[in-house]
Amino acid sequence: MQNAKDSFYMALRTRLATINPERTTLLRGAVRPGILVEEAEAPFSQLPNDVFVLRWLGLAVDMDLGSTMAAEECEIVYQTCGTQSFGGLDRGRSLSEMDEEFVAMLRPFYTPKLNYAVTPPAAMLTHVFWDEPGFGPIVVQRDRLSRTARVMVYSYQEQGE
Amino acid sequence: MAANWFSSPAPVARRVRAYFAPVNRVTQTPALFDPAEQGGFNLDAPPSPWISLGWIQGFTRKPSSKTSLVLTGIPAAPLEQVRETLQAQVSLQFLSWTKLTMALATGSQHMNLLAPAGGAAAAADGAQASAAVTPQSGSTATSIVLAASDAAKFTAGSIVALDVDYTGQTGYVGAPISGAYVRQALTDVDYIRRVTFNVGLVSQVSSTALTLAGPLPGGAPAAGVKLQAVTGFVDREGGSFYQEWSALFVMQGSQGERIFFHYPRLQTMTGAEETTLSLDGKHQGGQTRVLLKGQFLALPVTDPLDGEHVVCYRSFLPAPNALV
Repeated sequence: MQNAKDSFYMALRTRLATINPERTTLLRGAVRPGILVEEAEAPFSQLPNDVFVLRWLGLAVDMDLGSTMAAEECEIVYQTCGTQSFGGLDRGRSLSEMDEEFVAMLRPFYTPKLNYAVTPPAAMLTHVFWDEPGFGPIVVQRDRLSRTARVMVYSYQEQGE
Repeated sequence: MAANWFSSPAPVARRVRAYFAPVNRVTQTPALFDPAEQGGFNLDAPPSPWISLGWIQGFTRKPSSKTSLVLTGIPAAPLEQVRETLQAQVSLQFLSWTKLTMALATGSQHMNLLAPAGGAAAAADGAQASAAVTPQSGSTATSIVLAASDAAKFTAGSIVALDVDYTGQTGYVGAPISGAYVRQALTDVDYIRRVTFNVGLVSQVSSTALTLAGPLPGGAPAAGVKLQAVTGFVDREGGSFYQEWSALFVMQGSQGERIFFHYPRLQTMTGAEETTLSLDGKHQGGQTRVLLKGQFLALPVTDPLDGEHVVCYRSFLPAPNALV
């Protein structure tokens, strides 16, 4: 299941780098596309602005198929205060941009499954695929707007996983 | 003193496992299942010739035999019952799409889409195929020895079909499983490989051999067998051929008990039909699993024990130490 989680994240990260190369974040001394997995970073006291944060929640499995299918629920949280140059008055537009980028990142709704535990990553036999996202309402905290979306990510367990 | 038995309530089972085995259409011989001898088999490794099709859902048995009364006296009163017709139906949904589940869930013959020859004219059930190659001696059910020039035509992940050339014969064709009934002579030399069930997935290719992911249903290639690459499968709504298979359905109870439903002869009775199942019950418009629907008519066999005509055997192996 970790391979599916890694593949989903890397697919979104690769796509984000194409959709909006300017959305980056500085993490552990490296500039990366502005998307991260919460459980793979040091705990945050406050989630970073203008970055997509992936958080893995629920898990379900269907073991009665030829290959066990795992359904992993991914919550994606993103927030923004807008830009300094506009004094934060563009925070609504900034959140809309992130909404659009997120929707674009999800297309197509599948990606090849790779094993990122080895270098270079090894292609596996199946694809990871997912549903359309379910969006939560905008949450306002003073000058910060945030949104949460949830995506169900499906994958088949392969031999050796 | 501790009790060494318990009173077992009705079995609790999750899903049903399905196994099918070919009926010899020429001799009209179904596959046997002996619950006394074979009832304890490993559900993942059924006894030959049964082929596991995994879990199924929506398994429904519908007996439709009719009985009538023999009346006597004034006023007439029932003297006894007689069975007027013997009939039963089975319906289910397969949880996988394979050569066999597709074939079982279609009302007609099921064909392999042979890899086309270069520049061949398009055809609805596959263009003229590229030339077949001949397995060499030393081939087995899982390893096909080929000339180096032939082996180079295949890659790992290819699907292959093995059977003999069509040479004008009529009647049931395809080995070891009849894939079609030819009423009048045809001209396609590859016809039998189009309908054969003797297919496999290539897992490895060396300079002189193909290694298959699983054994061929027909075992080691016989003399005269040739091999062609398959790109997929096709079936048609219509036609006159009916698939006929022996079927075995198993319910494994929570206490180790087993219920078997053995249908010696099941014929597909409807055309190809699919149903969808949403993966996420809370998101009905999202990803859906496409299931093959199978509906079958149970045909009778004569039980050699007493000469009775029957369509199904239901067996029950109680849980260990359960009262009977």
